[in-house]
Amino acid sequence: MLKRKTDSRAAQGHRDDGLTLQAVDVTVRFGGLTAVDTVNETLHRGEILGVIGPNGAGKTTFVNALTGFQEPTSGQVKLGQKVISGLSPHWIRRHGVSRSFQAGRLFRDLPVSENVEVAGVSMGLSRRRAHRHAMELIEWIGLKEKARQPAGVLPYTDERRVGIARALAMQPAFVLLDEPAAGMSDLECDDIMRLVKEIPERFGCGVLLIEHNMRVIMGVCERIHVLDSGKTLSRGTPAEVQKDPAVIQAYLGHG
Amino acid sequence: MAMTTEGNSAQRPTSSRFTIEAKSPFMLQVRAWWPPVLWSIVLLIIVAIIMLAGGPVLQKTLTDALIKLLVVVGLYVFIGNSGILSFGHIGFMMIGAYGAAWMTCCPRTKKLFIPGLPEYLQTHQFPFLVSVVVSGLLAAVVALISGSVLMRLSGIAASIGTFAFLMVMYSFYLRWDPWTRGASTMTGLPVETNSWVMLPFIVVVMFGAFLYARSRYGLSAKASRDDEVASKAAGVNVVGQRLLSFVISAFIVGMAGALFGHFLGILTVDSFGLPLTFITLSMLVVGGMQSLSGAVLGSIVISALFEALRQLEVGFNVGESVIALPGGGREVGIGILMLIILIFRRNGLTANQEIYWPFRGDAAAKTAMSRKS
Ligand SMILES: Nc1ncnc2c1ncn2[C@@H]1O[C@H](COP(=O)(O)OP(=O)(O)OP(=O)(O)O)[C@@H](O)[C@H]1O
Ligand SMILES: [Mg+2]
Repeated sequence: MLKRKTDSRAAQGHRDDGLTLQAVDVTVRFGGLTAVDTVNETLHRGEILGVIGPNGAGKTTFVNALTGFQEPTSGQVKLGQKVISGLSPHWIRRHGVSRSFQAGRLFRDLPVSENVEVAGVSMGLSRRRAHRHAMELIEWIGLKEKARQPAGVLPYTDERRVGIARALAMQPAFVLLDEPAAGMSDLECDDIMRLVKEIPERFGCGVLLIEHNMRVIMGVCERIHVLDSGKTLSRGTPAEVQKDPAVIQAYLGHG
Repeated sequence: MAMTTEGNSAQRPTSSRFTIEAKSPFMLQVRAWWPPVLWSIVLLIIVAIIMLAGGPVLQKTLTDALIKLLVVVGLYVFIGNSGILSFGHIGFMMIGAYGAAWMTCCPRTKKLFIPGLPEYLQTHQFPFLVSVVVSGLLAAVVALISGSVLMRLSGIAASIGTFAFLMVMYSFYLRWDPWTRGASTMTGLPVETNSWVMLPFIVVVMFGAFLYARSRYGLSAKASRDDEVASKAAGVNVVGQRLLSFVISAFIVGMAGALFGHFLGILTVDSFGLPLTFITLSMLVVGGMQSLSGAVLGSIVISALFEALRQLEVGFNVGESVIALPGGGREVGIGILMLIILIFRRNGLTANQEIYWPFRGDAAAKTAMSRKS
């Protein structure tokens, strides 16, 4: 439903099948530390790709590099044929690559509805239309009654949902979710994962999901990319990755 | 937690027992625009009382206070929406004030005192209203140029940048003799501003400021205020939105400067320095930086208090003796008040909220209003 109702301007250009978000030899160095080391990956629309790895593996840095928040030291990020590494984050967001944050990062003083509305108005919708669009998403995440509360008073789990809704506003082609279920109980985790699972079909985007919880990752992802110390440790289906001795070693090794 | 609940206007119980059903389209508009409507009425009453019943000194004090109020509303447009504290806006006020002098002083005065003016300005004299609006535009242009550099900075660095801007403008005007008479007094501006003249400017600016804050541009700016990184991730062009609020607020403050010039009829560069910067900033802080109501209320409260303390400094008779506040008591009093307010109400008297329609009414209108921050 949502998919068809949203503004044509938002969906423009994101419909063409075969659009990909591609990391080509992406490397990010902080001084002497190589946080992301020649990582390659291609995200397609309609799939859910899991990115896992121990703390400090470079998962967030990788997402930062894909969304313009961190310029790669070397390598390229491509949206379709266009090289987008080096462009500003808001430009990248407007052109269909969206993200959420590990720490939630809502606009605390603004109501929940306006948190989502911001994405609409920044991409050219009037406030009225942006509000209508935001309310559809807020209904989807099940927070309709809280739409007028300031985001700063929301409980943790709701905060995460709003973060996801904000990332999905205006029909991005790709959405990168940074540990949306971190710190949640198993039950709350399942709730969030149900939402994430719905995204590709409902919104037509490709999802990159960072997550620590293996159970969750195995449940929703078709493909998994394992990072360790910035390097690709393993790639494949959940079953393949689970059997990979290198992965077992890394996870056991890190406790 | 207590603080955040306080910030939720939608959930606060309505304070009034009265019910005014806003059913006609006109009343719905009044309700939707209630903050500027309310403050327009309040200011109209204050101006009417003092202009009809007050002495000439009090009337002058009122005009001076209204000029500061206009500056504070201008400050609010930038500081309240972008979240960046600006120490530079009095520079825009100075630009506006001198702009007014260039446009409205009589040609003979200009030839004598400011021979550096170009021929066209030298020989022409413009009407008051043109001078005010064009002076505002001049300040806005300077804001556009300086802001395209300054707005790339964030947080405290941006604030210090605006402070540097004030210092640069101040020193420049102080030494720009052929245009400003430097350290000497510039005279000969037609005296046009009084409280009745200020009122329509303030009303229009308040409505404009409120409209901006509710527009999509205002919303984008407020998002960048709350979380700059997250706002970029929501597609907000942070530098652009900040620049827009900077330019609009400089336009307002520039107009206030021109009105100030037409109030005194004379100008000196040193009236546009740090004292005025701090008094206007403290008005905004005391009222609540993030709401129009805060800007207006803070200006009214501080100006009233300033006047009351001034009267005390003059002293009053109790029987034989004169009781008076020691000299300088005003500044001390204002300082103490600010401390008290900031300790007990960190977000100012209005807690950063607008003062909304206090009469209970139909639910639909309430919804229409409260969904906007
Ligand atoms: N801005 C930065 N400056 C310097 N070092 C950084 C910066 N950002 C990240 N790092 C370092 O890069 C490495 C990778 O960090 P990153 O946040 O990407 O890990 P992560 O996989 O997301 O970890 P977590 O699971 O804890 O979120 C860490 O060692 C971190 O300390
Ligand atoms: Mg991380």
